[in-house]
Amino acid sequence: MIKVENLYKTFKTTSEEKSLFGKKKIDFHAVKNLNFEVEEGQVLSLLGPNGCGKTTTLRMIAGMLEPAKGTAFIDGMDVRIHKQEIKSLIGYMTNNTSLYDRLTVLETVKFFAELNQIKTSEYQERASNLFKQLDMEKYLDKKISDLSTGMKQKTSIVRTLIHDPKIVILDEPTTGVDVTGQSIIMDLIKHIKDQNKTIIFSTHQLGEVKDIADKIIVMQSGEKIFDGDKDMFQKINPKQTFNEIFMDMVNE
Amino acid sequence: MSKWQILIIKEIKHLFRDTKTIVQTVVVPTFITPVLIGAIFWYISSIAQEETVKTYEIGFSGQTENQIYDDIEDSERFTIELISSLEDLKTSVQNDLTDIGIYLEEDLDVESSLESSGKINVFYKDLDTFSQAKDVLLNIIDDYESKIVSERLVQLNIDESVLNPINLEEEDLTTDEEFAGTFIGALIAFLFIAYVLQGSMYPAIEMGAGEKERGTMETLISTNISSVEIIIGKMFSITLSAVITAVFSTLGFIIPLIIVFLYFGDSIPETFFNIVAAIVNPLAILGIFTMLVPLSIFMGALMLAVSVYSKNPKEAGLLLGNLMIFFFAPAYLPLINPGLEIDFIGALIPCFSLALHTNALISGNLDIFLFGVTLGSTVVYSLISIYVTYIMFDDERVIFRT
Repeated sequence: MIKVENLYKTFKTTSEEKSLFGKKKIDFHAVKNLNFEVEEGQVLSLLGPNGCGKTTTLRMIAGMLEPAKGTAFIDGMDVRIHKQEIKSLIGYMTNNTSLYDRLTVLETVKFFAELNQIKTSEYQERASNLFKQLDMEKYLDKKISDLSTGMKQKTSIVRTLIHDPKIVILDEPTTGVDVTGQSIIMDLIKHIKDQNKTIIFSTHQLGEVKDIADKIIVMQSGEKIFDGDKDMFQKINPKQTFNEIFMDMVNE
Repeated sequence: MSKWQILIIKEIKHLFRDTKTIVQTVVVPTFITPVLIGAIFWYISSIAQEETVKTYEIGFSGQTENQIYDDIEDSERFTIELISSLEDLKTSVQNDLTDIGIYLEEDLDVESSLESSGKINVFYKDLDTFSQAKDVLLNIIDDYESKIVSERLVQLNIDESVLNPINLEEEDLTTDEEFAGTFIGALIAFLFIAYVLQGSMYPAIEMGAGEKERGTMETLISTNISSVEIIIGKMFSITLSAVITAVFSTLGFIIPLIIVFLYFGDSIPETFFNIVAAIVNPLAILGIFTMLVPLSIFMGALMLAVSVYSKNPKEAGLLLGNLMIFFFAPAYLPLINPGLEIDFIGALIPCFSLALHTNALISGNLDIFLFGVTLGSTVVYSLISIYVTYIMFDDERVIFRT
């Protein structure tokens, strides 16, 4: 289970105002008093416009950023204290296709499996299943630099899941992927969900949310402006699509 | 296998699949640099050789009815251009119309009487270090003066030994090894430092700022590998690349020399042979590498810290370019001051100490205590720079500074 309690994050940023020694540094509150819970096996979709604090929230949950105030608990472990333990429970996929260009697909996945201290036999079986599921078998010996964006994204997903994490965090997993790729990735997320894994994913695609999310959180300017399930989201205006409801919500 | 070892394998594989790395660590030090250095030496020696037979144009002004004029005219090394005035003579040399100029005053007469003396002006530009014009001309004048002095002594019935009460015998006891150490040791150390920096700069940029820019750093730190393991993995990869560059640069120097010895050994002068043998001395090379490895770790860790701090590879390149001055400057000092000797303070200065110990290793007069001081201090500097890198890696403001 994931429990986020009074989570805050502040960054120093440069203001337009000038001081004697150049531009002034001011506090930017990326996340403000965020609270929510995600039960085991649930899929949480984190929505919000660019810069609303989605990625910062995900990074704090994954133990990559230190909260300014408050904390998050993963299976009862505090992210401020048990970073490494929490990282081994999580599969985190960043919002770009961040892979090593000169490694092949197979080498990339193997590297992350080894980093997670997975036994070779276990890794090979899991990788083989994932490659098959994502229709990647023809590309295993290709260098990452030679792959399309969609194929890179799929490789990222495989490397995220290779250690069979209990919690999967996906930061905009379908960004830059064509329609077919998006469909494959969404099928895979459903498949992960069926394995009773907890998933948090941020997205701009409201269609994806409607399909698979059990819970929706909408953020704006670092704050939570909606927390509920799909039905509650639809009830805001039954006549509108998810997209329209979201647009009204963030434009208010 | 531990995580840092897994990371090293990945980093090396990723790094050496890049053509730029292969060019910088293997191709340039092994092939290009020896060719370049060889070409420079060949060019310099050919100029020097040319100068030994070159005929210089000499501007001559003033009295021509003189033995000196005749001697210059007879010399194969000069062609005379007569110039009417002293001022025109100066202008001629100044504007490079003649290589050297000589003015003999019109009333110059040192032969008619025992007391007579006269003035000769010689004009030249002391810029061309290879030019022998001045030496050849001064020799002619010296010979003439010696002849006059000898004649006067005969006339006065004085033995020449009266003018030379001391029979000075000079003997230079500098060994070939010391000569090699003093003049070539610092150059070798300088080149090694350059190669180590070259071999570690690109990997440092690639593994720090490069990974940040591509986003792979975020992916890496999202896994359960610790900051310490990341630093160890990356730092050793950078050091390995630096040492590989140093090894190939050594081979780049040694292999051509071995080939020269094997095929042209008989025609090589003994002194040159001894100098090269002092440089290609296994003990000296081992000593240099013993210093070079901790120095590479120190440089690699510092470069990684700077690179990780940088927003992108461009900024990293700029900052590392400035950092390089701090490594190059101390190594440059012994190069321009060949007589420098190492002391305790000097032994604590990175690169400077490497250059002077390299001199000592080649000369065969290494101070073991100061060598130990240098090794120990470099290890301490390495630990400090590793700690700085650790602070950088552990600071989210640095890791996510883009």
